[in-house]
Amino acid sequence: MTPNQFTRPIVWIHGDCLNPYGPALQAYPGAPAIWVWDDALLEEWRISLKRIVFMYECLLELPVVIRRGDVATEVLAFAREHAADGIATASSPSPRFRAICDRLRNELPVAVLPVEPFLAYTGRLDLRRFSRYWATAEKYAFGQKPLFDDQ
Amino acid sequence: MSSNMRRDFASRDELIDYLRREFPQAAARSGEVSATRGGRREAEARLQRIDPQRYAATRNYLDGAVTHLSPYIRHGVLSLAEVRDAALSRVRRPADAAKLVSELGWRDYWQRLYERLGDEIWRDQEPYKTGYRASDYASELPDDIIEGRTGLACIDAFSRDLRATGYLHNHARMWLAAYVVHWRRVAWQAGARWFLEHLLDGDPASNNLSWQWVASTFSHKPYIFNRENLERFTNGIYCRTCPLYGRCDFEGTYEELHRRLFPNATGNAG
Repeated sequence: MTPNQFTRPIVWIHGDCLNPYGPALQAYPGAPAIWVWDDALLEEWRISLKRIVFMYECLLELPVVIRRGDVATEVLAFAREHAADGIATASSPSPRFRAICDRLRNELPVAVLPVEPFLAYTGRLDLRRFSRYWATAEKYAFGQKPLFDDQ
Repeated sequence: MSSNMRRDFASRDELIDYLRREFPQAAARSGEVSATRGGRREAEARLQRIDPQRYAATRNYLDGAVTHLSPYIRHGVLSLAEVRDAALSRVRRPADAAKLVSELGWRDYWQRLYERLGDEIWRDQEPYKTGYRASDYASELPDDIIEGRTGLACIDAFSRDLRATGYLHNHARMWLAAYVVHWRRVAWQAGARWFLEHLLDGDPASNNLSWQWVASTFSHKPYIFNRENLERFTNGIYCRTCPLYGRCDFEGTYEELHRRLFPNATGNAG
């Protein structure tokens, strides 16, 4: 999916990207945006009040409508309210995120936009142990600046 | 369709009162609120204060110069790349920020594994290397751990801090996790669920895989510690007041503790 493919999108904000400079808000500034408290997940994970307060404070600094319930149902209802032609959101490794995106796609196209990568590298990484990962990743983990450039 | 929740609050207390009413089950389970405030403004203020060189020298001490950025990174309020760039801008040579960057690498690593594992992240990735089978571990946390009344001053303080603040220093997490899994023989999943409930930075990726690393279901050997190690990195703040000092469960060399905890294990202590 490429950004700016929609003319009337909504933005779905989720818990892995509570950032005013996140990719979906950047791609579609001014688009209606929604957060949905996932009531089932809050109970499944027994999330404590302090975690809810922390996240709510993050949300209050974002241009976002806050609702609760079943996430896909609420996001789609919000999209219908705004006659949206697509949903933009930030990427997440969470399997629940993927399942929600699948449900959203039954009704509307979804653009999952990548957050700024930590590694300037897209090749293969051995994930069997951190040491194996880092043996390759370290060379790319220092951004545009070369590692140990004074040596 | 649900109605919009409120966005206008005169104070933090008003917000908290509102959330207690809106989320009564969460408040009943654990009504504490952390002093750590959410939001990008607070995250940026904390980012300004990081000191990569002091971090590298002191991070294993409970009063070391750790960044306290993890809740903001966990929720993407700050990206790993942003934190890395800020760290590099604070040092003369990139090597001076290498420790902090490698710790950011751990989060990137856990996230990549989570992408691959999905809900399998709740399953043992490998057998325990403790000489015990998975079925030898209890499935629920004992109440004395949850309520902070084991009698061990350090463990009880960590338990209370977790509940009250939603934060534990990384070393305290490792000690507490090792105590739960190896001293009390409780399955790491029970501890991981407890941490996810309370930690402001709670995330199945870093949380579950770190528990598995301690448990030895995602490492070559179980992680354990002894009283000397804990006393050193806490500057003795718990041991000084502990009624069990000198005779607690953590006394002994690593070799002695390994033999005591894992009598049927093959392999070395460490």
